[in-house]
Amino acid sequence: MNASGTFGFGEEFAPFVDLNELGALVVKGLSWEPRQGNPPPRIIETVGGMLNAIGLENPGARAFIEEKLPFLRQYDVAVIANIFGETLDEYPRVAEALSRAGGIKAIEVNISCPNVKKGGIAFGADPDIAAEVTRQVKTATDMPVIVKLTPNVADITDVARSVEAAGADAVSLINTLTGMAIDVESRTPQIQNVTGGLSGPAIRPVALRMVWQTVKRVSIPVIGVGGIMRAEDALEFLIAGAKAVQIGTANFVNPQITLEVIAGIEGYLIRHRMDDIRDLIGSLIEPDSLEHPHEP
Amino acid sequence: MIRNLQVAPDHYLLELRLPAEFPCPEPGQFMMVRLRGRDEPFLSRPFSVHNFRMHRGSVSLEILYRVVGKGTLLFSRQSKGTILGILGPLGRPFRISSICPTVVLLSGGIGVAPLAYLAHRCRGRNAGGKRTSIIVYAGARNAQSIVGIKHFEAVDLRICTDDGSRGFHGPVTALFERDLCSYDPEKTMIYACGPPAMIGSLARILEATSFSCQVSMEERMACGVGACLGCVTAVKDNGGRIRYERVCREGPVFDIRDLAGLKTDPC
Repeated sequence: MNASGTFGFGEEFAPFVDLNELGALVVKGLSWEPRQGNPPPRIIETVGGMLNAIGLENPGARAFIEEKLPFLRQYDVAVIANIFGETLDEYPRVAEALSRAGGIKAIEVNISCPNVKKGGIAFGADPDIAAEVTRQVKTATDMPVIVKLTPNVADITDVARSVEAAGADAVSLINTLTGMAIDVESRTPQIQNVTGGLSGPAIRPVALRMVWQTVKRVSIPVIGVGGIMRAEDALEFLIAGAKAVQIGTANFVNPQITLEVIAGIEGYLIRHRMDDIRDLIGSLIEPDSLEHPHEP
Repeated sequence: MIRNLQVAPDHYLLELRLPAEFPCPEPGQFMMVRLRGRDEPFLSRPFSVHNFRMHRGSVSLEILYRVVGKGTLLFSRQSKGTILGILGPLGRPFRISSICPTVVLLSGGIGVAPLAYLAHRCRGRNAGGKRTSIIVYAGARNAQSIVGIKHFEAVDLRICTDDGSRGFHGPVTALFERDLCSYDPEKTMIYACGPPAMIGSLARILEATSFSCQVSMEERMACGVGACLGCVTAVKDNGGRIRYERVCREGPVFDIRDLAGLKTDPC
């Protein structure tokens, strides 16, 4: 599936991708009220990645239901609505409205956006608040609830365990790493928000490590996200134990990358004579020394 | 890549051969172009169409660009035979009026790139029962950095330089303002592309008039197809309320009267 915020509401990519072929489609983060987002410039490319501070620009949940969802209902693809709130109350309100709309299969809760002043990362960085958001959303919907986690914490597995205990059905990780870039000639920040979220291949090793650690500490499915540019990158996450993967920034480079990665994973399974992707998931062969240090 | 010629300091003319089925772009549309197989830079760069030709089953695209950062610097180092990734045509094109027989183009620096293709497509047209006449105000820092004017055939070309080394000494907007009363707002369509200060001055000049003016805007882009929301520019609606629109989808061509937050300092 794609990562939220990198695929619009699907219609932007319909000319390039048969949306029916995707495992799932995650829409841009939705709040209750429309949000204008941050002033430009909002993005800058950095080494092996990009910084963005979009500021969760979106038309609001109601406009999404009226104007964007009918298009997605034409497709036989699981639509996952990514939701966001500035306050604790906003999350369940958005979740409830989307659950009643019809045509949505799951909710992904964004408690990890680094680019907004209220909500976002402020909720995701604290295991107790993250759990409270999760509980509220679970109360508001019967749909599976995926909680998207921020890497900008001391130990992401603590937050993962906390939202699992609060009823999360899955976790997706990682959201962007907070970063910054300066134009030295003008001595001004490269993006208007000063700081932004780093995505792209540069963050993949960090994402992979966090997924690997989290898989060991929770029993709910973990969705791997972070800098996947090609099939072998996705395979890394699956081998580390992710049950599914999301592709984000790579969609900006090649709008057909999602399908190319799916085909690449299939090709790998055939080459390795695996009938079932479950044989691959979590199949990392770890050095013995990691679990059982050698006796002197 | 067929050629990648330096045409002035920091300015290059890139010509690409495209597959025969590549759709013909409208003036004002752009392409996302990338160097393949690299992790840096890995994002595409947006370029307007400077020229597009189809003959004998072969399609060629010209891109005129200025080196402004790492991406364009790497483009400038590529040579004939390099295979590039390309996505397009993208964005909303310039609207070509069927009632305005006078077309005025104002370019500042590399802003000439999309206007040359527009002039090419306007040439020989009839509008409002008359043959279209094209007046081009092309501005540059100095005589050396004037680029992209070779496609301006059969136009009234008025060159302006900041240092007076060629043509009018001063910004294109100053020369245009001096000529303004010679144009009929009902029969003239103005198109502009250039640095923010130039567009700001033009907006101020046109504010009290009824001229129509379309502006091609530039912003950093990641996807070019409307998903990343990285390329927004501020626009105002009828009530004066400010909102953001995507340069890649709602633009890159905007009505100058819709643009908000333009720089108004003299250029």
